[in-house]
Amino acid sequence: MSIIEQLVSAVGVPNFGVLIPEIIVLITAFIVFFEELFSKNRILISATTVIGLLLSLLSIFTIKQGDLTLYGLYVVDGFSLLFKLFLLISTIIIVATYRRYFESKDIYFGEFYYLTLFALLGMMIMVSSPNLFTFYVGLELSSITTYILVGMFKTKNKKLKDFDYKSKEGAFKYLIIGGAGTAVISYAIALLYGASGTFDFMEISRAALNDANIGLIAGMVLLVLGLALKAAAVPFHHWAPDAYEGAPTPITTFMAVAVKIATFALILRVMVEAFPFISKDWALVWSILAALSMTVGNFIALRQKSIKRMLAYSSIAHTGYITAALAAPTGMGFAAFIFYTLVYIFMSIGAFAVLTFLEKTEGWNNTFDDFKGLAKRSPLIAIVMLVFMFSLLGIPPTVGFFGKLGVFLALIGSDIWWLAVVLVVMSIISAGYYLRVVSVMYMYEPVKNISFNINGVEKSILILMAVIVLILGIYPTVFWGISTQMSSLLIAGIGR
Amino acid sequence: MEFQFEPASFPWLTVSIVLPLIAAGILFFLSERFAKPISIVISAIVFVISTWMLFAYDYSHYAIQFYEKYNWIPQFGVSYEVGVDALSLTMFWLTALSFLISFIWSVNIKKRVKEYFIAFLVLEAACIGVFVAWDMVWFYIFWEAMLIPMFLIIGVWGYAERIYAATKFFIYTFFGSLFLLLGVVGMYVYQYFHTGKLSTSYFDLANLGLPFNLEIIFFLLLALGFAIKVPMWPFHTWLPAAHVQAPTAGSVILAAVLLKMGTYGFVRFSLPWFPEASKYFIPVMFTLGVIAIIYTAAMALAQQHIKRIIAYSSVSHMGFVTLGTFALNVEGMNGAIITMISHGLTSAALFLAAGWIYERSHSYMLKDLGGMAKYVPVFATFFMISAMASVGLPGLSGFVGEFLALLGTFKTNVWFAVLAGIALVVGAGYTLRLYHKTMFMEELVDSKIIHKWRNTRDMTASEFLSFLPLIILMFVIGVYPKWWVDLINTTSLSILSKFIGG
Repeated sequence: MSIIEQLVSAVGVPNFGVLIPEIIVLITAFIVFFEELFSKNRILISATTVIGLLLSLLSIFTIKQGDLTLYGLYVVDGFSLLFKLFLLISTIIIVATYRRYFESKDIYFGEFYYLTLFALLGMMIMVSSPNLFTFYVGLELSSITTYILVGMFKTKNKKLKDFDYKSKEGAFKYLIIGGAGTAVISYAIALLYGASGTFDFMEISRAALNDANIGLIAGMVLLVLGLALKAAAVPFHHWAPDAYEGAPTPITTFMAVAVKIATFALILRVMVEAFPFISKDWALVWSILAALSMTVGNFIALRQKSIKRMLAYSSIAHTGYITAALAAPTGMGFAAFIFYTLVYIFMSIGAFAVLTFLEKTEGWNNTFDDFKGLAKRSPLIAIVMLVFMFSLLGIPPTVGFFGKLGVFLALIGSDIWWLAVVLVVMSIISAGYYLRVVSVMYMYEPVKNISFNINGVEKSILILMAVIVLILGIYPTVFWGISTQMSSLLIAGIGR
Repeated sequence: MEFQFEPASFPWLTVSIVLPLIAAGILFFLSERFAKPISIVISAIVFVISTWMLFAYDYSHYAIQFYEKYNWIPQFGVSYEVGVDALSLTMFWLTALSFLISFIWSVNIKKRVKEYFIAFLVLEAACIGVFVAWDMVWFYIFWEAMLIPMFLIIGVWGYAERIYAATKFFIYTFFGSLFLLLGVVGMYVYQYFHTGKLSTSYFDLANLGLPFNLEIIFFLLLALGFAIKVPMWPFHTWLPAAHVQAPTAGSVILAAVLLKMGTYGFVRFSLPWFPEASKYFIPVMFTLGVIAIIYTAAMALAQQHIKRIIAYSSVSHMGFVTLGTFALNVEGMNGAIITMISHGLTSAALFLAAGWIYERSHSYMLKDLGGMAKYVPVFATFFMISAMASVGLPGLSGFVGEFLALLGTFKTNVWFAVLAGIALVVGAGYTLRLYHKTMFMEELVDSKIIHKWRNTRDMTASEFLSFLPLIILMFVIGVYPKWWVDLINTTSLSILSKFIGG
């Protein structure tokens, strides 16, 4: 026997079969990287990316059996597969909007594709980490690539120099504050390791059951704060508005959707698997963060002039709504959390995609003034935007209503009336700015005479998102089924 | 409470909800000239269905008729559940009628015609849904979905301050409905913890047997949602703004249908679900009702804007409904329901009249009007009948309802009945003032204004057609109320079964 064979028989071959989606994404990233190096054919690059992502998406369905692989450092289960599926779907849609946007802005953009793929890989690692170590690697991979993506508005067009500057500013803020978050998380990991002697979520939970000492609690709280920073929860949100506004709009979409849901998936897994026996403590921390996020996000969103920045604050408010479900650490709470996270994808992609598509028009800055009279000039965009706005507001028959209903059920089921009332009041406040978008679109006369440059693919993306939002608003049954099943899977896994 | 169900042989109610929606969806892709005929035909079909149901409904005993139920979200025990009792049915019928009339009236609309009719069709579906849904999630979906088209109708087709009025309307109602949702979710959770049952059905929530303090809490949460919609004093301030700014057809729907949702909510949910709390809150509700009647009647007397006068009169009439409802006896309940129907007819007619006047004179202000009667005799007659019905002249619909409501109130509390009775006189005052100042006083009005009327055209065919059914129905209800009282009597008894042991 050779040395290699001896080694293999000693430790065993990890099950690479369940890693196919990640492997495909990685390979695609490298292919795109070399394509970008040697050929500047943009259509080729974007086609390769989309095909690679589609293959990865399909390969998810070949995985029949979950596994704990890579020597216990990587878990593939229903939960992670579900989130990988939705991460891939949203990334495909977002990547499809890249090319025409960047061309219209004269941005050198080959890098966007493989950086997005690496960020996606990081997120896929995040959602399947059973271990603080893997989780840290995934989080950093996705964070660092996103810092770069935010700052890449480097355009040849002299008129857009301001945007270039804003983009760099946003990226720098994101980098500094995100870096601080990373530091907090490392410190949390160190504390947790010191208190429990392990990186593994399950073993940490056992240690917490035996002896929830101060080191463990402090580590947990720091971890929650670090993750809250990554999810842009108040009071750690200061990077978000600038980064969201400065980033090229498709990248904003990517941050508001993919980065966010991966972070939420990670948060849920860490909380449920690593700290199930001290759930009261983290539920309290999350409920405070949620109440703050809703309040601050909604109030500041009211005062915005730019719809892009307003959506950034609205996204902070939605972090509040989603994490409010964690204040109720029950099966219902987790199901509401998963459901809201999943449906948030569609409304958020939709709203940001509208901005992406409109922004290609020259002189369009996504301010409320620009949106005046949109319904007359483009009825289709106005009506889909209306659907997304009402969904974000939570009015039936859009799916946003069921997201909030789930959170209500969870909160009231756990007798947390105060947070439910905060949620109600903040939803009413948020009507102020969502309605303003609708009213400027429908109730004002157009000020500028601009014709939009929107092709069939883009229209179908918008229509698809709006139809999904409406259909899920009438028939959320399947998504509720998935969410409740996932939540019971997570709970069944406690103390595995 | 025990409920009987009589399943529908054909899903008429679902068809009535879905038909306008489908029509709206199709219209989106068609050209503008199809908008009017399609909307009128669809709403006529819905109206025919509702009228047929009015006659097919068996009122000899209480049962949920034309009942349909399908599973929907089994994880939460939510199902799609529609059906009617006499209360739902009359409201459904009133909705169908109001929409048909609004569509006929709106043939003159010129601004963004297609979107206008789409918005109204969606609104019709949602309004019907509110009245026939028996599952709380569906009820809430319809209740809220209605806000979207109404927001657009006021905001797009309204007058100068329309955006302010639309936003105010939306935020007020949204505020109330979220608390309503909180209450319903609270009851649902209570049900789950105490019976282990997951269900959002009205019929399950009706048999919770809540302890008194919870009843009070849930009553208040739901009442906030309903009171804003009614609207009860002091939550009424959105209504004059919305009415003044809304286009004529929007005002008609707002007055005839949307306001009924609030009172419908009180009758349907608050009384049967929270009997003890309802009894406990009788003084509060009576006080608010009487304040609404007197205060808004006084407000109406001081207004110059025609629509504002009618809007305040609506709040005042809704006060009678509140009194009748919380009198907690059969007379009061019958009176409340008949007032709801009658107010639907009269306020619709009065708003049509206001719209008619505005189209001719381009002003809603009393100072710009006067002395029309001689030149437009048909309109003057119709307007007169509507005004008299609204005042409560015997022989017309308003009298029946208000008389019964006052009778019921009298049985429960004499003083409130006396106060409300005094307010009836004030009501006659402001309505007569409205009529007098627009139609008569020829000798006191500037001759330039009179000159305008000389060439004014009396009612056009579409205007005549939309007015006529309202006038006929005012007489029908006023002259032969027995049929209507019979229709709703079993329902009233069932709703009050926890109070009068029937």
